Amino acid sequence: MKLYYVVIIVLNLLALFGCISHPQTAEEFRKAVPGALSAKVEMFEVDRSFSQVANTFQKMGPNCLSKTIKTTSQTNKSYQVIVTTYKPTIVVTGKKAELHVQFHHDQGVINVSKEPVGGYYLLVADAQPLSPTKTRIDLYRPSMGHGVLVQAVKNWANGEIVGCPDLTK
Amino acid sequence: MGQRRNCWMSGFDEVTPFPPQLVPKKWHTHGRSAVVVLLFCVAIVLPACSGIKTYNSSLNKNLHVRTVTDSGSGFSRIRAAVDIHRVGEQCTIEYEGTVQLTDPTIEIGIPPDRWSHLVFVFASSSFLANRTGTITYETMIKPRPNYRYDVEVSYKNSMYHVAIRETPPNRSTSRELDRMALGPCHSPTAKK
Repeated sequence: MKLYYVVIIVLNLLALFGCISHPQTAEEFRKAVPGALSAKVEMFEVDRSFSQVANTFQKMGPNCLSKTIKTTSQTNKSYQVIVTTYKPTIVVTGKKAELHVQFHHDQGVINVSKEPVGGYYLLVADAQPLSPTKTRIDLYRPSMGHGVLVQAVKNWANGEIVGCPDLTK
Repeated sequence: MGQRRNCWMSGFDEVTPFPPQLVPKKWHTHGRSAVVVLLFCVAIVLPACSGIKTYNSSLNKNLHVRTVTDSGSGFSRIRAAVDIHRVGEQCTIEYEGTVQLTDPTIEIGIPPDRWSHLVFVFASSSFLANRTGTITYETMIKPRPNYRYDVEVSYKNSMYHVAIRETPPNRSTSRELDRMALGPCHSPTAKK
C-alpha cells in the first residue's frame, strides 16, 4: 500500500515539474499570457504623454511595489504565514516604458518550478507613445486575484494617482 | 462531585477544590488583591514584551498628521500607525516609538535638524477569513526648525497613500516632499 502512494506522489511530482514551467523573462511572460488560463492581456489608451506615463511608472513602481509582505491566515485546523517579496523593474527607452512586477515567496510556499531571477513574473505593463498626448498601454496581468495591483497600475497610467496598492489583498 | 460543587475558584471540575471552611476569610481579601495586582503587572509587562512603545516627545509639534482609513467592509478593519526611528551616524536606525493614528488628526514632535525614519504601518484584519496582513510606507525626514509638516495618511479601496508637505514659518505656500528611502541613506550625497 505504501509503495502505491509513493508511486502516485512521484508521478504527480514528475507531472508537475514537467508540465508547469514559468516564464523566465519578461518577453517569455508576454508570449505566455495570451494562452494562459489565469492571465490575460488588456490594451487601452490614455490621454497622457508617453513621458508622463513613464515618469509615473518610475516614481510609483519603486515607491509602491518594492515591498516585503507578511500575511497570516488561520482556521480551526491550520495556521499559515506567507512572506512575499515583490520586485518592480522599470525599463525606459526612447519609445517604450516597461514596468515588470515579480514576486518571490520567502516563507510559506513551496515552489515546484524553476523561479526566474528576481521571482515569478506577475505583471508586465508596456507603455508606447501614440501621439504627443496619447499613450498606449499593453497590460499583461493576472485575471484572477491581484485586482488591487492591476487597478493601481491602471491608475498610474491614467494619471489618477490615488496611491499604492495594499499587496496583502 | 462532593465538595467540588462548593469550589469558590472556578466552575471547572478539573480545578483543585478549596473547601470554603478551610480558607481563612483574610485569604479572600488578600487573594482578590493579589489577583488585581497580578493583572496590573501583566498589563504593564505585556506591552513592554510586545516591543511596541509609545512615542513621547516634548518637542514642538511640527508634524501634523491627518488620517483617513476605510476598510471598505464591516468584516474587516484597518489600523494605521507610524513608527519613528532615529537615524544616527552611519545610518544606524534606533527605534524611538510608535504613534497609533487612531484619531483623525494627531500632532507629533519630531526633532529638527536631524534625520528621522518614519514607517507608516497599515495593518488589515479580516474577521471572516481570519486573515491579517501588514504593509508599510517608509520615508526619511529631516525637519527644519520652525517649519510645519502636514502629513496626509489615507487608506481606501485597498489603496494607501502618504504625502508630506513642508510649509515654511509664516507662509501659506507649501511643497510636497519626495519620499526618501532608507537605501540611499548610505550614499554620501543623501545626508546633506
